[in-house]
Amino acid sequence: MTNYAHPEVLVETDWVKQNLGKPGIRLLEIDVDTKAYAAGHIPGAVGLNWQTQLQDQVRRDIISQEDFEKLLGGAGISPDDTVVLYGDNHNWFAAYGFWLFKIYGHNDVRLMNGGRVKWLNENDKPLTTDQPSVEPAAYKATKPTRELRAMLPQVLEAQRKKWNLVDVRSPDEFTGKVIAPPGMTETAQRGGHIPGARSVPWSTAVNPDGTFKSPDELRSIYLGQNGIDPQQQTIAYCRIGERSSHTWFVLRYLLGLDNVRNYDGSWTEYGNVVGAPIEKGVPVSK
Amino acid sequence: MNHATRVYDSIFEMLPNEDNPTPLVRINRLSNSTQFPLYAKLEWLCPFGSVKDRAAWEMLRDLETRGEIGGQRGIVEPTSGNTGISLAAMARARGYHMRAVVPNKVPLEKKVLLKIAGAELDVISDELCPAPGLGDGSINLAKTHARASSHKYAMPNQYENDKNVQAHFRTTGPEIWKQTQGKITHLFVSLGTCGTVTGTSKFLRSQNPKVKVVAVQPTEGHDVPGLRNISQLKVSKLFDASLIDDILEVDFRLAYGRALELCQNEGLLAGPSSGLIFEGAMTIVKRDKAGVGVMIFPDNIFKYTANMVKHIPGLGEGTTA
Repeated sequence: MTNYAHPEVLVETDWVKQNLGKPGIRLLEIDVDTKAYAAGHIPGAVGLNWQTQLQDQVRRDIISQEDFEKLLGGAGISPDDTVVLYGDNHNWFAAYGFWLFKIYGHNDVRLMNGGRVKWLNENDKPLTTDQPSVEPAAYKATKPTRELRAMLPQVLEAQRKKWNLVDVRSPDEFTGKVIAPPGMTETAQRGGHIPGARSVPWSTAVNPDGTFKSPDELRSIYLGQNGIDPQQQTIAYCRIGERSSHTWFVLRYLLGLDNVRNYDGSWTEYGNVVGAPIEKGVPVSK
Repeated sequence: MNHATRVYDSIFEMLPNEDNPTPLVRINRLSNSTQFPLYAKLEWLCPFGSVKDRAAWEMLRDLETRGEIGGQRGIVEPTSGNTGISLAAMARARGYHMRAVVPNKVPLEKKVLLKIAGAELDVISDELCPAPGLGDGSINLAKTHARASSHKYAMPNQYENDKNVQAHFRTTGPEIWKQTQGKITHLFVSLGTCGTVTGTSKFLRSQNPKVKVVAVQPTEGHDVPGLRNISQLKVSKLFDASLIDDILEVDFRLAYGRALELCQNEGLLAGPSSGLIFEGAMTIVKRDKAGVGVMIFPDNIFKYTANMVKHIPGLGEGTTA
């Protein structure tokens, strides 16, 4: 079996346990529902709220470089630290955090394989409600790496140039049967998908325990069964950009594709754009 | 305690068992087959309002007996409502605190009832885009409380606790056997934690291995609180396929329609899960033609008025001036 293209960005729960409290290794839990962090987290982990802390609270955008620096400095993180991210909802929001960390040039950021659910279900792994004591640090980010992010013009360009478009939402969202999962407030005017997109739900990439599938399995799923051409540029999207961060991580770091962007505007942007072409129904075979 | 006069020293003495069973009531108008009479076991006549009284009591007593609760240590439990209501009311009546972790889609009536019964409530977002087999949000949050704050909480864990099964082996099964004088041929149940089906079936099969067990499940993506589609059953460690003869899948909307019919034709104020079970039973009556059927009706309609309005066209009309 071959290894992941960048095995250094994925750590196992056992590795995290062995490295708890070590200098230079910082843990961040990123959740959409921070009740989980408040109820119990890995000792030493700082909790971040995806909705209020990783996104600009006025514009629809990722937080600015200045806010990113303040956030990490406030969490006591230095640019040289190894930052391990994990979170709820199968690491979707942690993967979004990983993407954001890479946009702002953090060198050593990693995901904990399986997220908080895996840690929770391993009886030898400690959990605490204690807030970690944090010494604020000075954090200087690099200028945003725009090549990791797809904006609407690139999504339109992708359709003209036949880039790989990967829709990671559920099949019912892809076909337009539903616009969003039940109960979601962020939605769109229409249901369907971006023309030419392949439907590869995010969960295709994980095992029953939430850990990523093996390199060979992932290669077979994405490059084999779904025909993603590694020579082409690739854009992953979902509804609000968090599930697609998970797939972006798989394509960019586990399979090692060079040009992969996460479209964080995703369906809540594209599905609302006046005049943008969409498709409905089942995917045509590629 | 006197079951004849129904005078009790505490509410706990009213809990059902072979000597004080919940009633079996025959269906008359919606199904009148003399070859295959159907009986509804009215679990809402348990003292705390649902079939979950049985498992809740067995699990709570077990924690008490083992000294797991008391002092500052209460309980935390993931629940779609009924187990939480039973556990909260029982726990508070015995002096323990209770925290209930509830999925958002649980009807408002049940959430408010949990608070009225004395539970502290954690409402969590429903699964956004779940992957088959991956953990359930409410179970995981309850587990987190139990592990990170073990000085405050013990977790009965109805999805894994064998006491849930034992409760039905000890009470539901013997009650039905005695009430039907051993004539039961078909048991109709729904699937949730699977404590009811596993415990009751084990007992009935120990008396008569030929008793057929029919589980009725709602279609995937359903909106019937408390029940699980077969694809959602992995979270329950109590599911034992060897004890089930047939698993019927019924369009979940029929659960609401059938519940309404039971209310309006039989005088049985049955909830949607009972409606689902009744629909499944009717299918089997047609197929097997002869027998004696017992349907376990988990709870009544009172907690589901909002869901009924949602799923029964026209029901909400004419309710305002």
